[in-house]
Amino acid sequence: MFNIVSVIFKYIFIFIIYVFILSIIRLIYLDIKGIYPIAVNNSAYLKLINRKDTLPFKVREYYPLGDKVTLGRSNNNQIVIKDPYISKQHLRVIKDEDKYYLEDTNSANGTFLNGERVMDAVCLKNGDRISVGQVDFLFVNKE
Amino acid sequence: MFNGRINYRLPRNLLFVFELLALMLIFLYYRHTLNRITVIYSLALILLVYISNFLLLKITSGDNFIFLIVTMLVSIGVIMIYRIDPELGIKQILWIGMGIMLFFMTYLVFKRIRGWENWFLLYALASIALFILTLVLGTNIKGATNWIRIGSFGLQPSEIIKILAIFLIASYYTNHEKFTRMKFGKYYLLGIIYVFVLFLFLQKDLGSVLIFLSVFIALQFIYEEDRKLVLINLSILVVCAIAGYFLFSHVQSRVHTWLDPWKYIDTRGYQITQSLFAIAEGGFFGTGLGLGYPEFIPEVHTDFIFPAICEEMGIFTGIGIIMLFLILVYRGFKIAINQKYKSYRIVALGISILFGIQSFIIFGGVLNMIPLTGITIPFVSYGGSSMLSSFIALGILQVASEELDLDEE
Repeated sequence: MFNIVSVIFKYIFIFIIYVFILSIIRLIYLDIKGIYPIAVNNSAYLKLINRKDTLPFKVREYYPLGDKVTLGRSNNNQIVIKDPYISKQHLRVIKDEDKYYLEDTNSANGTFLNGERVMDAVCLKNGDRISVGQVDFLFVNKE
Repeated sequence: MFNGRINYRLPRNLLFVFELLALMLIFLYYRHTLNRITVIYSLALILLVYISNFLLLKITSGDNFIFLIVTMLVSIGVIMIYRIDPELGIKQILWIGMGIMLFFMTYLVFKRIRGWENWFLLYALASIALFILTLVLGTNIKGATNWIRIGSFGLQPSEIIKILAIFLIASYYTNHEKFTRMKFGKYYLLGIIYVFVLFLFLQKDLGSVLIFLSVFIALQFIYEEDRKLVLINLSILVVCAIAGYFLFSHVQSRVHTWLDPWKYIDTRGYQITQSLFAIAEGGFFGTGLGLGYPEFIPEVHTDFIFPAICEEMGIFTGIGIIMLFLILVYRGFKIAINQKYKSYRIVALGISILFGIQSFIIFGGVLNMIPLTGITIPFVSYGGSSMLSSFIALGILQVASEELDLDEE
């Protein structure tokens, strides 16, 4: 009786161990996909901080910042996030003399910098938290 | 890409089911001698593992895989140990429970410690003190003096020194510029590591020598700017290996049995040949738990747990264990790459290399691919000190996996 159970169980064990390994490898794979190469050697980028796993739209972990970057829901922006709480043209980040300025482009729900609503163009510094719609970004400038 | 499909529950539940099924089988096997304490302990362990995995996901912002992988390894190990010897199994369950507690303690404490990378002298002195303590108080077990006995409780200081040595190397290379400006500063680390090696030679603990030097050379290879030093180190290693061969008779016999185990099958080659028989006996799927004869192998619960697993659970499980170690080490490297601060990076690398090297040496040893050295498989073999120190190392790795902000303080 024990022998039969043991023989059946050994197949189950091996099955479970391999499904376990594969599920972890799959999770790691998803995790790797999430790392957008910051090695574009741009010194400044936006990093996603709220890692909710149930966001109903696509959002990347990193967005490198160039001279002029616009963010919004419509497809002609550099950063496109299909969040219903984000306006079609929501905000833009402009580089001027090695400084980055954040400007809200008349969005409906507003842009928040460290919890305060952005009214005018503001200068960004390393570690600033930018909230738009349902997502939060961290502004990172390594200089 | 995080569209709700990322799901940590599946592996966690799989682990839970695996442990429960294995426990049922083991209890069925030992149904005549089963007592209540055993049942309570094992159920408590399963619960602890499940809750820890759940909790960790909530409290850490870093890596969520390493602990999951390790708990799987631990479960396979403890099931096999329990099957070989129920008494050791219970002890192992207690060690694992303590290890998991220590993991969380290390995680919480180490996260708050700042400036540890400047305590170079402390690590060096503490390690040397531990070595001297071992030499003075140590008892000789199986040809190596590396145990301290306190009552009925045995402790292997070299397990702790491994972690201290990684911290030593990390603190050296973090403050590399400061040290190179000193007179003979380049040779400080080299000197201290070889003092360690000397102590290990005195203890005749050659397996540990191999681990220390491998970790050291790997880290030196990555961080040392003066390539000549790496070369010097490698040549000293070769000299050490040759000297070890001629100085110690048990090293010679290990090499002989490695080259031709069948010639010494009834004496010193007995262990390794039994190990090979066991692996061959198991085949792809194994004989099934409780249906093999792993107790024919001497030291089956510590160094030779791997052939026992292969015999009863199949070579597929064996390969599974190797794969688990593979992803564990890979995760460690990735943690190191992502880490912003150099000191944490070196520590993370050192710990991953430690896990990798240790498992490589013993897997190679029991398969007769390389000469056998008596060390434990981290997390799988029976052994209190090894289990605790491995969990401490894992806790440190967990801290290193997080995005730290040291400047804030």
